[in-house]
Amino acid sequence: MIADNYRVTTPSNPAGIPAIDVDDIRFSYGDTLAVEDVSFTVAPGEILGFLGPNGAGKSTTIKMLTGQLSPEAGKISILGMDMPGQREKIQGRLGVCFEEKNLYLSMTGSENLKFFAKLFGVNEFAPEPLMERVGLSTRLDDRVSEYSKGMRQRLMLARSLVNTPDVLLLDEPTAALDPVSAIGVRDIIREEAARGAAVLLTTHDMHEADDLSDHVAFINQGKILTIDTPENLKLKHGTRSVRIRSRHGDDIDEQVIPLDDEGAEDRIRDAVSTEGLMTIHTEEATLEDIFVEYAGRGLT
Amino acid sequence: MSLQRSWYVFGRELKLSPRSPLVFFAIAMPFLITFLISSVFGSLFDVNPRLGVVDEGDSAITAAAQQLDGVDTTVVPDAGTLKARVEAHDFDAGLVLPAGFDTAVRSGETPDLQFYISGESLASTRVILAVTTIDLVRGVAGDQPPVTVVVTPVGDEDFVPISDRLLPTMVIYAVMIAALFLPAASLVDEREKRTLDAVLVTPATITDVLVGKGTFAVILATIMGVVTLALNNAFAGQPGTMTLILFIGSVMLMLMGLALGLWAKDVTTLYTAIKAGGIVIFLPVLFTLFPGLPQWIPKFVPTYYFLQPIYDIAIHGDTFADVLPEVLIAVAICIALVPLVAWVAKRSEHELAITV
Repeated sequence: MIADNYRVTTPSNPAGIPAIDVDDIRFSYGDTLAVEDVSFTVAPGEILGFLGPNGAGKSTTIKMLTGQLSPEAGKISILGMDMPGQREKIQGRLGVCFEEKNLYLSMTGSENLKFFAKLFGVNEFAPEPLMERVGLSTRLDDRVSEYSKGMRQRLMLARSLVNTPDVLLLDEPTAALDPVSAIGVRDIIREEAARGAAVLLTTHDMHEADDLSDHVAFINQGKILTIDTPENLKLKHGTRSVRIRSRHGDDIDEQVIPLDDEGAEDRIRDAVSTEGLMTIHTEEATLEDIFVEYAGRGLT
Repeated sequence: MSLQRSWYVFGRELKLSPRSPLVFFAIAMPFLITFLISSVFGSLFDVNPRLGVVDEGDSAITAAAQQLDGVDTTVVPDAGTLKARVEAHDFDAGLVLPAGFDTAVRSGETPDLQFYISGESLASTRVILAVTTIDLVRGVAGDQPPVTVVVTPVGDEDFVPISDRLLPTMVIYAVMIAALFLPAASLVDEREKRTLDAVLVTPATITDVLVGKGTFAVILATIMGVVTLALNNAFAGQPGTMTLILFIGSVMLMLMGLALGLWAKDVTTLYTAIKAGGIVIFLPVLFTLFPGLPQWIPKFVPTYYFLQPIYDIAIHGDTFADVLPEVLIAVAICIALVPLVAWVAKRSEHELAITV
């Protein structure tokens, strides 16, 4: 079930140029093929969830997008420019949030942001609004070494936004975050996409991918298995059903009614009208289930 | 490459320097080593004994003292000032020559001679000034010395005292920590903590980073080298030439430091390499300390070509023209190191990208 090539017809910018256009790229570490004929596009304002287990080729793909590695074959175009040919120009419009918290620990949060803003050539950069946005406005002048893991993660996201990037590459942006902070970070990612930034998001969190992504790409063993919207994947590969639980004396009765079965509506109506009704849940396949179906293995 | 981005990297290094133990060490080292060596061997390039004189009667002793090569004589207006300046250790000793002193001595009288000694003066200096003063008084009295001292130089006339031979040791320490250790350790730290990854996905290139770090290292190393020479009165009247040579030496060590920092995988590897390879950097120093060793051997070591000119100017009074051949070789070594650093940088950047 391995796809040869995927082209997602999502809206692009007015000029019709996708923000990220990856065409049949390949990279190997010595004899080990890490990325094989990977193709995808991400339009401005789109969030593409990149899902796969460790060693699937996600990080290698991102490193080729950032210009850290050059593809052995294939072509990468970002914002209409060739990577790595126009690396410096492209990097000026990229925002990258690494999984590893690679911040300058001996500098304050504010100093970290200002330093990177300078490298991006952002004049008159004020860190306060960005720190406020990630909930760190009270820790502006504290050294990062005094930050908690979650705070460092939020500062990483803030750092990736100092240049108001047109393309955001986010590697596990909510790792190490508490649920409330994770919601805040997801809101920021949505806001960035709404602003027009193309977002490539790698995550192990299927709920996050489902929640945020316009499209998801499953990648395993260096190959993209499929790309589609989460809804389409669930429709294609899952069974929609309703799980109804009701109490009869001391017993609890549970029915699972597939929605696509003939007479499903009548069965649901009967079940709902029964005395002792406890709970009704709609059920659909999760992205994890679908990934297992494609890859023959889980994400961890 | 962008000079502006290199400037930002330089600014970051400068701003963070007060928080870096290595920078503190680099700044403290010249003072520490000068203090240690001065404590053990006495000051390098000791100044002459300093004698203050109050002459209330136009004594011939004053004129004779001022003629002496080995004593710095200063005339002060009155005894009160003299005493205060001796107490402040402006002079090692002070001499008050009352009016009519010469006449009294010549007539065979034994007038009192007030002689102040600074409590902080060295014992050897006190002896020199006391004997010199007695000798000058005897000269005024017209007495012949009771003996004729025959002076016969023995041993190597070119002998340089151990304290002076330690000058290159102090210079290499002062320059090496700032120029070599600092950029090497900083680069390894950035690679280990992956902060270099974050910088290299911005428009900044590895060259921008190296130029910024290298500039900071060279400036600090040159300053510390100058401070070391100043602390030891070793400029030999050529501060400009000495600063230029220190600058060239700092550039050389900085380039070695960058190559080392880019090559070493981690801090342990870096310090192992420095321990193992340090002997090569220090080799010229050993040969200066032990002049009996064959002096052609250190010529195979790059650091010889900036340490030797500094030594020759400070100790032998050579001019810039005298040391120009060595200085030009030092410049050539620096130029040759640039492509090596560029090659290691490219390799290191790739390794960084393929390391998970």
